[in-house]
Amino acid sequence: MKLGRTQIVVGCVVAALLLALGPTFLPSFYVRVGQLMLYSAGLGLAWAILGGFAGYASFGHSAFIGVGAFTAGLIEARFNSLPAPLLLLTGLAAGGLSCAILSALIAYPILRLRGTFFAIAMLGVSHVTAEVTNNIDFFQGSLGLNFPPIAPSTMDPASFFYELFLAGAALILLIAWWIRRSRFGSGLLSIREDEDTARMLGVPTERYKRLAFVVSAVLTGLMGVIYAHSLGYITTDSVYRDDTNLSLIVYSLLGGMGTLFGPAIGACLLVFITQVILGRLLDFHLFATGLLLVLLVLSAPGGVLGLMKRRRKAA
Amino acid sequence: MNLIAQTLADGLVLGGIYALAAVGFSLIFGVLHVINLSHGVLVLLGAYLALIFSQGLHVDPLMCIPLVMAVLFCIGYAYQRLLIQRAVDRASINSMLLTFGVALMLQNVMIWLFSPDMKNITPTYAFSSFRIGPVDFDAVRVSALLASLVLLSLLALFLKYSSMGRVIRATAQQTMAAQLCGVNVRHVYALTFAVSAAFAGAAGIVLGIILPFSPNDEGTWTLNAFVVVVLGGVGSPAGALIGGLLLGLVSTLTAQYVGPSFPNVTMFLLLVILLLVRPQGLLGNAFAPSR
Repeated sequence: MKLGRTQIVVGCVVAALLLALGPTFLPSFYVRVGQLMLYSAGLGLAWAILGGFAGYASFGHSAFIGVGAFTAGLIEARFNSLPAPLLLLTGLAAGGLSCAILSALIAYPILRLRGTFFAIAMLGVSHVTAEVTNNIDFFQGSLGLNFPPIAPSTMDPASFFYELFLAGAALILLIAWWIRRSRFGSGLLSIREDEDTARMLGVPTERYKRLAFVVSAVLTGLMGVIYAHSLGYITTDSVYRDDTNLSLIVYSLLGGMGTLFGPAIGACLLVFITQVILGRLLDFHLFATGLLLVLLVLSAPGGVLGLMKRRRKAA
Repeated sequence: MNLIAQTLADGLVLGGIYALAAVGFSLIFGVLHVINLSHGVLVLLGAYLALIFSQGLHVDPLMCIPLVMAVLFCIGYAYQRLLIQRAVDRASINSMLLTFGVALMLQNVMIWLFSPDMKNITPTYAFSSFRIGPVDFDAVRVSALLASLVLLSLLALFLKYSSMGRVIRATAQQTMAAQLCGVNVRHVYALTFAVSAAFAGAAGIVLGIILPFSPNDEGTWTLNAFVVVVLGGVGSPAGALIGGLLLGLVSTLTAQYVGPSFPNVTMFLLLVILLLVRPQGLLGNAFAPSR
């Protein structure tokens, strides 16, 4: 069954509207779960612009969540007389800009590394940024930063942030979709398949992967800013998290590496598994995540979308 | 002057232990091309086994080394044959995630069995020390360093002179050619993994007597091993030793002169600079043809 273009667009708009209406009928626990799903889906999609399309799997994207969140917090504290929506916009702009600058600065050295070396060097970047945030008093990483409440008084904060995360995730999905269809996206795929050949054939690989790195970092940073607002108070440990670093890879792996919707599907599945199914078994958490990872790698390296494709072929 | 000498001596002692803790990681990376993210867990497993054995049998922890190495050898062999082998020929990210999954599971099991609290192994000579010139040496640290140097030399000799060592090196250099000469590659892979796990276990004992440990440290030890290998070069005990000593010196010097909260920053700066300037590590890959 092949869907026409209008059908896809209509389907997406209907799905988005249904999602946006979620908080009106869902019980509050599931609004929280939905928040987390949309946040994770946004991060997974942003990660996949570099990790899925270009094949540069980063193991340290929480660096950008942290940098975005802390810049936004520090800037917003200077402008706290602004009305709430403007304040959020200021924070988003500042967080996005700082991530753009950081990623553009480190893009040249770090993108010379490939495969595992790139992954671990990014882990290093996230540890170093976390350490700097934590130890230099100016950033208040160990003390913690407060974020002003920005939810309008007529709205439940949980639903408000749900809608914000939905908007963020939808924006990132649109950007990823646009990239995937553009010449830039084809260039990224060619880098994933064979970087040296792509370069030989005239694809500007250096420029493309640097651009993908910056775009991915900025979008991750924007989600980080919203996340920080939804927490209200952050320290180094609450935004620079190694489990986020890992989860971003797992989302793509679970959904389907290199596909457009894969990371979002994977994120929703993993959040559902860890929050709803394993929510009461905290002692069992690490073990279950590990087991899931092992099973995934051994039995479904193509993720959920890969399994569906295989089944469709067999049928 | 005294402070500098003392810092350098401490750095070298620590570096020797980092080297032992990294050599297994290096060997697996060199031969199987697998980044073993469960290496730190194997190191800690060695430490916990030594704690149990030395308390149960009332012997010196260093005397447990052969026993712990034997246990981890078997675990490593089975682990490779049952799990890693299935992901060895796929993209490197797959085997990396597989070992990460195993690391999470084992970490959780260790928390169940041994509690998340800090433990340490205390030998009878824990508080004795001696002086050479202006520098103080703890008996514990010196015996730990000696043990790791002896083990590293043994591994180097094993790889260089024994027939099994030759087969391992041959497989690492030219897997296909070794296979054509009748080498059972799966067995060699499993054996390499087993040897590496055994050395990880030994490293666990050595570090257990000088530092406190808990199941949550596994990430640190995996990361250290990775840094050591990138600094020194893949696949050889000598590379691990150079990388380990360098890391030990850098982290103690940073802690002493820059501030105790910045070890990661300098470590990763050094790492990134080295990756850019000399990506094959100081001694290069022991198995790749020299260029």
